[in-house]
Amino acid sequence: MKAAGFGVLLLALVTLPPLAEPYMLHVAIVVLMNVVYAEALYVIMRMGYLSFGHAGYIAVGAYTSALLATKLDVSVWLGFLAGGAVAALLAWLLGAITLKLRGIYFSLSVFAFAEVVNAVFRAFDFFGGPAGIAGVPRPMFFGTRLNTHLGFYYVVLAAAVFSLVFLYRLAATRFGFTLLALRTRDTEGLAESVGIDAARYKTLAFVASCFFCGLMGAIHGHYLRFVSPFVFTFFFSTDLVIFNMVGGLGSFWGPLAGSVLLTTLGEQLFAAGYYKSLVYAVVLLVVILALPGGLIQVPRLREVWAARRLRWARQPVATTER
Amino acid sequence: MTGSRRFLVPFAVVALSVILGLPPSAHAQKPVKMGAIVPVSGPAAAFGLGVQRGMEFAAEDVGVFTVAGEKYKVEVVTYDTVYDPGKTVAAMNRAVYNDGVKYGVIIGAGVHPPILPIIRETGFLDLAFAAAGRQITNGENPTVFRIMASSDQLYQTHLQPIIERLNVKRVATLGPNDELGKNDAKVVKTQVEAMKAKGVQFVAEEYYERGAKDFGPALLRLIAHKPDFIETDGSPTGSIALIAKQARELGFTGYFLNSTAVLEAKAISDIAGKAGDNIIALRIWAKAPTQLYAQLADRHQKKYGEAAPGTMWEAYAATKWVVDVIQKTGTFDTKKVADALAQSTYPEHPFGPASWGGEKTYGAKRQIILPIPAAILKDGKWEPFDVRTGKFD
Amino acid sequence: MEVYLPLLAQGLAIGVLTGILYVLVALGLTLIYGILHIVNFAHGEIYMLGAMAVLYLHVVAGLALVPTLVVIVALALLLGLCIERGIFRVLRGQWLQLVVASVGVSLVIQSIGWIAFGIQEKSVPSYLPGIVDLFGIRLPRERLLAAGVAVVLVAALYWLVYRTRVGLAMRAIEEDEETARMLGVNANRVASLSVALGFVLAAVAGAFVAPIYSLNPGMGLEPILMSFLIIIVGGLGSITGTVLAGLLVGVLQSVGAILFGSEAAYGLVFVVMIAVLVVRPAGLLGRV
Repeated sequence: MKAAGFGVLLLALVTLPPLAEPYMLHVAIVVLMNVVYAEALYVIMRMGYLSFGHAGYIAVGAYTSALLATKLDVSVWLGFLAGGAVAALLAWLLGAITLKLRGIYFSLSVFAFAEVVNAVFRAFDFFGGPAGIAGVPRPMFFGTRLNTHLGFYYVVLAAAVFSLVFLYRLAATRFGFTLLALRTRDTEGLAESVGIDAARYKTLAFVASCFFCGLMGAIHGHYLRFVSPFVFTFFFSTDLVIFNMVGGLGSFWGPLAGSVLLTTLGEQLFAAGYYKSLVYAVVLLVVILALPGGLIQVPRLREVWAARRLRWARQPVATTER
Repeated sequence: MTGSRRFLVPFAVVALSVILGLPPSAHAQKPVKMGAIVPVSGPAAAFGLGVQRGMEFAAEDVGVFTVAGEKYKVEVVTYDTVYDPGKTVAAMNRAVYNDGVKYGVIIGAGVHPPILPIIRETGFLDLAFAAAGRQITNGENPTVFRIMASSDQLYQTHLQPIIERLNVKRVATLGPNDELGKNDAKVVKTQVEAMKAKGVQFVAEEYYERGAKDFGPALLRLIAHKPDFIETDGSPTGSIALIAKQARELGFTGYFLNSTAVLEAKAISDIAGKAGDNIIALRIWAKAPTQLYAQLADRHQKKYGEAAPGTMWEAYAATKWVVDVIQKTGTFDTKKVADALAQSTYPEHPFGPASWGGEKTYGAKRQIILPIPAAILKDGKWEPFDVRTGKFD
Repeated sequence: MEVYLPLLAQGLAIGVLTGILYVLVALGLTLIYGILHIVNFAHGEIYMLGAMAVLYLHVVAGLALVPTLVVIVALALLLGLCIERGIFRVLRGQWLQLVVASVGVSLVIQSIGWIAFGIQEKSVPSYLPGIVDLFGIRLPRERLLAAGVAVVLVAALYWLVYRTRVGLAMRAIEEDEETARMLGVNANRVASLSVALGFVLAAVAGAFVAPIYSLNPGMGLEPILMSFLIIIVGGLGSITGTVLAGLLVGVLQSVGAILFGSEAAYGLVFVVMIAVLVVRPAGLLGRV
């Protein structure tokens, strides 16, 4: 039943695009990228870590691939993988330190990382400085460069499916449930006491999440054919958090729903940028306050509200960070 | 939650989004859409609003025009880019591929690189408001025209005369830490070094992060070299006002130079008070150069209750000029119009007679040549300082 | 470049003044975080509203300065109470939702700010124009005024937290909530008061820093990042820590920029912050 549903969706995603207009392909590409970013972030949020700096890893992936392609003429396909690999490597190196931090400390440290990344890219001409790197090429496919929207759409689709399959396995299998157990400092201690090597799980999840961010980031850079320190900003990271919260963290499909909805909504709001921010923020607040658990919990709304009322009565005023 | 029900909501959301996401299809028969692909929110909004309003005035004034026997009207559609490259790409995609827009004014050197491929592939006629030089207007982009003076042109035309006139001896620069700032500092340095024989020295170079409010430390370093002239490049109103205020607080008594198109005298004097005096602004007209200029200024004041941002007149002129050329060539084909445009001149530009140049410097005749003013701020008002026409091969 | 004493002295003086300004802005954030462990991302936007309020009430409408400040305090109190009741209280116990909700609130306020206040850079004329010349070091009077206000508010905060019953209640809730509640402390009232006061501090900071720089609806972003940096380095929950960290950052930025250049100074501040956290993870004076 599930499999049939997916099959139909996949079929649609593969066969319908040649009939679509370039603009719709553009929207589809952006949606697919955002879905992967949001799901990658989901893996980390499931462990109880709120990251306001994922854009940093995405930027690392984008720049790695852009540099390899423009300076060393490396094949773009290899560049994608390199982007993912470099981001994953950085995640592994930094993960050792940052994952020890919890709560707001972690959030700020990843945020600081993202800012430092952008600052470094801005400061040195090797990275193109504030102007960034232009002329980042599209990949070659059997002799033709995929300069059209349609051609590149399939690249993005393939990468997205590949990433989502892996990310799903990270979140919804036993590995994922173990991650849930590591959500707070206390439960982590509990988990360790039954023999779970928390550090290894967390690092693995973090590295995997950043790999896909880097991979998709590289693809993003080749889609725009441009990378600059002003593309992957703090606001970008915040948007990803919003997608997750609006969609709901209770299921793997939550962030997917959140990204799809908000990205397409955002594309409609062309008149002025602050309307888009306002809409995102209002939707976010409405969801957090009235639809706890996000959109995916809407079918269970009455139960969720009741549970919240019950839980709320016994809450401490001083909210301890996890 | 039971297995398959878990997917109900996400699928519903996706379906809803697909429906929501289908943009209204664009069937433009009589209206000719011209895009204002500019920032209308965020820190650069004043530039975008000026363009939007200038284009709208032009559309009103052009009214109904005839091309190849059919009647058309210009419709200005705004796509907010918030001066963000990603959003600019999204805006271009929507404008060009969905809304069928073929002509437009696009602001920003920083956001042009990712959309140049789209412009080349679709032949979009880009009337660019971008201070930076070669990477945008060159032989590879035949449909991209720069409708404002580039900053190379600006400094080459005005810097040396200003230095001589004010008897300046020690020049320092304090610019934004981005491509524009660094590039302009280089241009200024070259110009100043050419005046070594006259005893003019380039003494210091500092940068600040865009959006910074405290220039104290950078100014201290600069002032330690005792400059009598600080060039502040394309610093926006808020920044130049604070720079002037803080520099004077630290004891600087010389002149400032600025090259941004949108600079509010009142805002500067509100923020900096008397410290704002002796700011020399390139691109600012203290006195209306033509009647059309004054009329447009009044019109904007009446309609919007505030002074027009500096980008309004150039956007107005570009729009009318292009429609003019379209009518003369009798086609909307952007490549043909581009060729015709490059060969034409426009005597009715609000700044004065305009033409195109830049073939030698940029490899293509896509740089507008028109009179460039300089104004100096005294007692909260702009006073005319100089007018020159930038010669630009 | 020659570095000589008068320049460094001026840099130091400006750095200290700027540092005190940072402290003024960070106070509200420290209070709310210190007592309730809530990360109030909307802090920067309240600061912006305080500045805009001065613009519209004092400059545009012509209300005298003191009544303007009274109105600002009242409005900030009200806003703080509403947000505490409407949002923070509802989300009690859910750290993640609280943080994200406060980000949401800040985005809402900022977006409405852009729409309502427009894009033009605005300004508030100086309350005390002029420079004080102290042995060749030039100190702008309006910054001295803001620094003075900061000192008064820090003292007032100390007095409140350490010398009043209300402060005692706050500290009790922060240290051991269950026991405090059992002993009769009204936790809800402490929460409301803390948030309301935090908002008032943010708004007043905005009101006094307004004439120094210029105003625009996006002006809340930098203060909040700076304030976070400072309370993390100083130690969450410690007023003294905030003061020390604020001064440290201000001086580092200023002197560092003179010696090494603005970009390097920015990096230097980051490096020092990381160094402090590595040596003392809870911050200079923080207690875990």
